Amino acid sequence: MQKNLYKPDLMEVLDVQRQTPDVKSVRVRFLDDGRARDFSFRVGQFGQFSVFGSGEATFNICSSSNWKDYLEFCFRRTGRVTEALWQVEKGDTIGFRGPYGNGYPVEAWEGRNLIFVGGGIAMPPIRCAVWYALENRAKYGDITIVYGARTVADLTFSGELEEWSRHERVRVVQCVDPGGETPDWKGEIGLIPTVLERAQVPAENAVALVIGPPIMIKYTLPVLDRMGVREEDIYTSLENRMKCGVGKCGRCNAGPIYVCKDGPVFTMRQLRSIPNDF
Amino acid sequence: MSAIIPVAELGELVAGWIGAGKLVAAPVAVGDRLLYQQLASADQAVFDARRRPANSIKEFLFPRHEPLFRYRIEGRGIELSEVAPEEREQIVIGAKPCDAAALPILDLVFNWDFEDGFYTARRARTTVISLACAAEDEACFCTSVGLGPEDEAGSDAMLFDLGDGRFAVRAVTEKGKALFGERQAEPPAPRPGPEPKFDAARVGRYLASHFESPLWKELTLACLGCGACAYTCPTCHCFDMVDEGNAAGGVRVKNWDSCQFPLFTLHASGHNPRSVQPQRQRQRLFHKFVTYPQKFNAVLCTGCGNCERNCPAGLGVLAVLKAIDGEAMNQDAKEPVQA
Repeated sequence: MQKNLYKPDLMEVLDVQRQTPDVKSVRVRFLDDGRARDFSFRVGQFGQFSVFGSGEATFNICSSSNWKDYLEFCFRRTGRVTEALWQVEKGDTIGFRGPYGNGYPVEAWEGRNLIFVGGGIAMPPIRCAVWYALENRAKYGDITIVYGARTVADLTFSGELEEWSRHERVRVVQCVDPGGETPDWKGEIGLIPTVLERAQVPAENAVALVIGPPIMIKYTLPVLDRMGVREEDIYTSLENRMKCGVGKCGRCNAGPIYVCKDGPVFTMRQLRSIPNDF
Repeated sequence: MSAIIPVAELGELVAGWIGAGKLVAAPVAVGDRLLYQQLASADQAVFDARRRPANSIKEFLFPRHEPLFRYRIEGRGIELSEVAPEEREQIVIGAKPCDAAALPILDLVFNWDFEDGFYTARRARTTVISLACAAEDEACFCTSVGLGPEDEAGSDAMLFDLGDGRFAVRAVTEKGKALFGERQAEPPAPRPGPEPKFDAARVGRYLASHFESPLWKELTLACLGCGACAYTCPTCHCFDMVDEGNAAGGVRVKNWDSCQFPLFTLHASGHNPRSVQPQRQRQRLFHKFVTYPQKFNAVLCTGCGNCERNCPAGLGVLAVLKAIDGEAMNQDAKEPVQA
């Protein structure tokens, strides 16, 4: 028979970081050295991660594709598989299938200014692209990251946000919803679309990557439009429920697309041409 | 060897295949219905060209429950092992042409870029012998999707009921010839099949431009979301993947699933793109008549009518399609399509 499409590779958990009260990031490495050596992916691609006995779930690979010794992914404790993942510790074994999907067109973004807009658990799929851009710094223009969460405690990768802001031509704007601030909060207070508008980000020659809840995206698009970012330059990553990840199981089909194979990364222009079924 | 086979001889052939260790499936009488089942003995097979089984033959290629691999949990380690593949040859005999025709359509999605070895291995070791259709009922609509009562799509050989206890046999593919060799009957005069009931291409065009339409709610509000249409459909192929086992280990399996269930598309965030039943009905028809034709150049429907016959709400998928086609015709009359 062909190689078993559905059998995962085994990975050792190298580290688990608690990012927020209900979000953890996990660092893993292939048990098979050959597989670890040969593996490559594009930032923006995803994997199917297994906790054996509980099942599989779909997560973006949130580490940079330049990091060769391990992969990272991030999850919120919200269902059966993520509850099982929550119990996973350093030294445990999990499964991985991938990389799947199209990834970000980072080559086409060269020479452009980059605007990243993310809400809550949307930071991981932005983080991989930010690191990739920073590691190829000469190829990209100004980088602006607008990241918000409900409360200060819900911000993921806080340490890295600080680190990014110390790079040249990188601006990080952090915000929390009104009421989500702490007494010593130095960032912005407000919803992401408002904060983005207030931030007065220069938008000429810009590409935007906007990821977050549908309601955040809905209200962020008009702001980007007013800033002058064209809809073919606004990208997002869809989060449809998936099982197989390889265009068979039918679950992520929306209109003419299979999100797992045609996406998950689309421009707003592409999304506008398909039925609103995602 | 004669190309004309008396029914008794057909039974002997089937008995011979079973005796030789092949898996043989055929329509079997269960209560007052016919169901395709794997045969324990040749005399179970019912070769009735006038009746349609209530299920489809897809389950012999794409089982409703299929182990993908085993896992063993040992402390913090995991051991994975392949499930021993079924290697016996398989013969499906007495298949309706509208069931056989589903297989070349399913080949497209299971081989799209990534190959699903579970499906393709079963497909390679399966021979399909169809029985040309001698009668249709009000739910049949094969001729509306470009097929017909004697269509050879997906068939390795085809039997024709001569009406006198004998069957003419015609081998179509090499696999068919391997079973029937020289037997090459000229088929009897073809039957026209059911009157065409709608125009699939016109339905597809109309759907593509009417994703949002009050029609969906009006036509599909009666749907209970039971999934009977999808489970008895020869071409529906959506599946779920789950782990079944205990603390020591288990098996990951593929199970049939359906876009008619609310959990099918529920995101982890709680957002559900198809939260009400008319959206899910719309998805099923869209996938069959718009998405699949766009992606794979084939309509994901063979017109077997199982969805219509098996619907407990009497929803009438055919009635929905006819209504859509009616709307499409009205629209075309108003805005003539550029030739």
